[in-house]
Amino acid sequence: MTADETGLRELRASVREFLEAKSPEEAVRKLMESEPRYDPAVWAQAADQLRLPGLVIPEEYGGDGFGLVELGVVLEEMGRALLCAPFFATVVLAAQALLASGDREACARHLPGIAAGRTTAALAVAEDSGSWDPALISARAVPDGEGAWRLTGRKSFVIDGTTADLLLVVARTVAGPSLFAVDRDASGLSAGPMETLDATRAMARLTFDAVPATLVGADGAAGRTMAKVLDVASVGLAAEQSGGARRCLEASAEHARTRHQFGRPIGSFQAVKHKCADMLVQVELAEAASREAARLADEGSAEFPVAAAVAHACCSRAYMFAAMENIQVHGGIGFTWEHPAHLYFRRAKSSQLLFGGPAVYLERLLDRLGI
Amino acid sequence: MADDMQDFAAEARAFLDAHAPKAPDRTAPSWGEGDDSMAYFSSLPPEAEREHVQRARDWQRVRHEHGFGWITGPVEYGGRGLTPVHDLLYDAVESEYDVAHTGVLSVIGLGMIGPTILAHAQPHIKERWLPAMYRGDAIACQLFSEPGAGSDLASVATRAVREGDHWVLNGQKVWTSVAQHSQIGLALTRTNPDAPKHRGITAFLVPMDAPGVEVRPLRQMTGGADFNEVFLTDVRIPDDHRLGEVDGGWTVALTTLMNERATVGSEGVGPVAAALSPDHLSALMRATWTWDDRALRARLAELLVDALATRHLNTRALRMLRAGGTPGPEMSVSKLMYGQNLTRAAHFVSDVLGPRIIADTGQWGTYAWSELLLATPALRILGGTEEIMKNILAERVLGLPKEVRS
Repeated sequence: MTADETGLRELRASVREFLEAKSPEEAVRKLMESEPRYDPAVWAQAADQLRLPGLVIPEEYGGDGFGLVELGVVLEEMGRALLCAPFFATVVLAAQALLASGDREACARHLPGIAAGRTTAALAVAEDSGSWDPALISARAVPDGEGAWRLTGRKSFVIDGTTADLLLVVARTVAGPSLFAVDRDASGLSAGPMETLDATRAMARLTFDAVPATLVGADGAAGRTMAKVLDVASVGLAAEQSGGARRCLEASAEHARTRHQFGRPIGSFQAVKHKCADMLVQVELAEAASREAARLADEGSAEFPVAAAVAHACCSRAYMFAAMENIQVHGGIGFTWEHPAHLYFRRAKSSQLLFGGPAVYLERLLDRLGI
Repeated sequence: MADDMQDFAAEARAFLDAHAPKAPDRTAPSWGEGDDSMAYFSSLPPEAEREHVQRARDWQRVRHEHGFGWITGPVEYGGRGLTPVHDLLYDAVESEYDVAHTGVLSVIGLGMIGPTILAHAQPHIKERWLPAMYRGDAIACQLFSEPGAGSDLASVATRAVREGDHWVLNGQKVWTSVAQHSQIGLALTRTNPDAPKHRGITAFLVPMDAPGVEVRPLRQMTGGADFNEVFLTDVRIPDDHRLGEVDGGWTVALTTLMNERATVGSEGVGPVAAALSPDHLSALMRATWTWDDRALRARLAELLVDALATRHLNTRALRMLRAGGTPGPEMSVSKLMYGQNLTRAAHFVSDVLGPRIIADTGQWGTYAWSELLLATPALRILGGTEEIMKNILAERVLGLPKEVRS
């Protein structure tokens, strides 16, 4: 199912209106210092009023079956508003991992709850190195009779890992990296919040001590599954990043138009003007890269993996650049705790490095190009 | 693709099949084979340059006879009356064939001056020049820049003084591409030195064979002479060759400049395609044993991120155009990125080649890149400098206050 241009505009308008009401800066600042780091009432409204958790979940699993283009619109808006909510972890990471696993039984068990907003979920891949490379994973799972498994090891950087009802965990078996589902209440599981550079995105460290787990997809297939998830997730992240970058640009342009120094608006000085133009160039490129990648995914194009890698690299750089220059254009005030610029700076840097960072994603691009 | 587009593409293909051989694919890794020229600007000796122009005219005439000479031009002046999307589609199909490069006619003449004549000339002047341009008989140039008026184009000093039903022009123009081949030039002149500088300018069509017009080649840093200085000494122009109002030439200039920005910034073919082609660049790294160099690999990837994202930007602009909308700031962003992408590619290749680009060993595909390297500084200046493009983006898109101007 694909919305036309009018449909996309309406979707954007309703999500923006919702977020302006439910996630203004004061709400973000309050939530980023509370536990849990989201408001369950707002999450329930996002599900009931806007049906956001089910947006890209196929209709057979209780969702609305839209594609990455529509998801991108929603994530751009969430990126602008720095929404504190389990959307990225649940919808972009965990639900996509279930779908990519090809395990219809697991999908039927978990996705309807996710689509309805009743279940939140998290995807645990990285360990203390932060790497998403399945080859570097040391958590392990052993068979426990009757098709059951027990999981042992430690996971870090797990987004919304202390609050998610369902945990999807990549662990090593004899056959290789494999994906497992673990219940929040499973025995032997403990979760603690990590201190994070970006306080608006909660992360957890999970320890597994012979935790009962269910295999999702084929034993040893998580390498392929994660490659697919990473393509979709990095395009989702790219949309969030381009939304955040656009917001930084708007804030800078507004400030440059209105702030006077030396008897002139600072935006009339070419040095400031060109800084804003450079931000605009990066933002336009970022939007083009993330939206085209989403479109190619929905068309089932063979060009999607390359476009996903381009979007990830392009939007990571654009957001970091816009977040840095936003502080520079604002001058001293941009460096204060009270000003929101640092919230975007933190999100930009954290997002840039979330899946490994430039050294990793640039090599991934070359790999996808066959170089 | 809509049916009429498919029909148009099929018609173009049938025409090209009958008149031109297929082109070799320059983006494919064919390392060490064929022509390795990376010339962005021509660096041909004058005799070869004249032959090149003649081939361009001959091919333009063939295109004209089959209805592909001026696809977006109005029917009454010999054009086809179709959309810019048809034009781009034709270019895409034609790029698969080995035909004469007709930029000398189309980039400035049909791309920029043609639309300006259409918008501002009297009917009999349109009839005199437009069909001739479309047939390849008349090449046009843009007599805008002057030694004292480059980016600040409104500072033109070339004088035009009225004498009865004629005007007398005196002054010097510079950076005039294709002037040496042109039959007609569009000149901006100062007609009222007392008015504010944007309001005292008048535009004229100058027949390049008029007495007093002297074209001198200007050798550029690539070694060739694509540009010229044009000296105007007591050149008499009839008043009906005036475009727009007396002192109203700035409006005329804006028509040309808008079309210029829509022209510059497209991806192009030849050295441009090769310099930004993943296959071509990776073949170069293999040939130079730098394949495993991590720092160079990261730079290659960064370069490709920009090249591919710029392509996405152009795709979006094209899709918007196709849906009947007008492209947003994409064209200015695309123009900026185009210059930067090629500059970055040329320097990346230089670092891969190392000493092999400072002197010619005769080895294929090495010293040839110096041609592109030496052209790149121009790409950040021509068609509006980077600084001017950034001012436009900041002021027109972001609404920042204007530069303080005299």
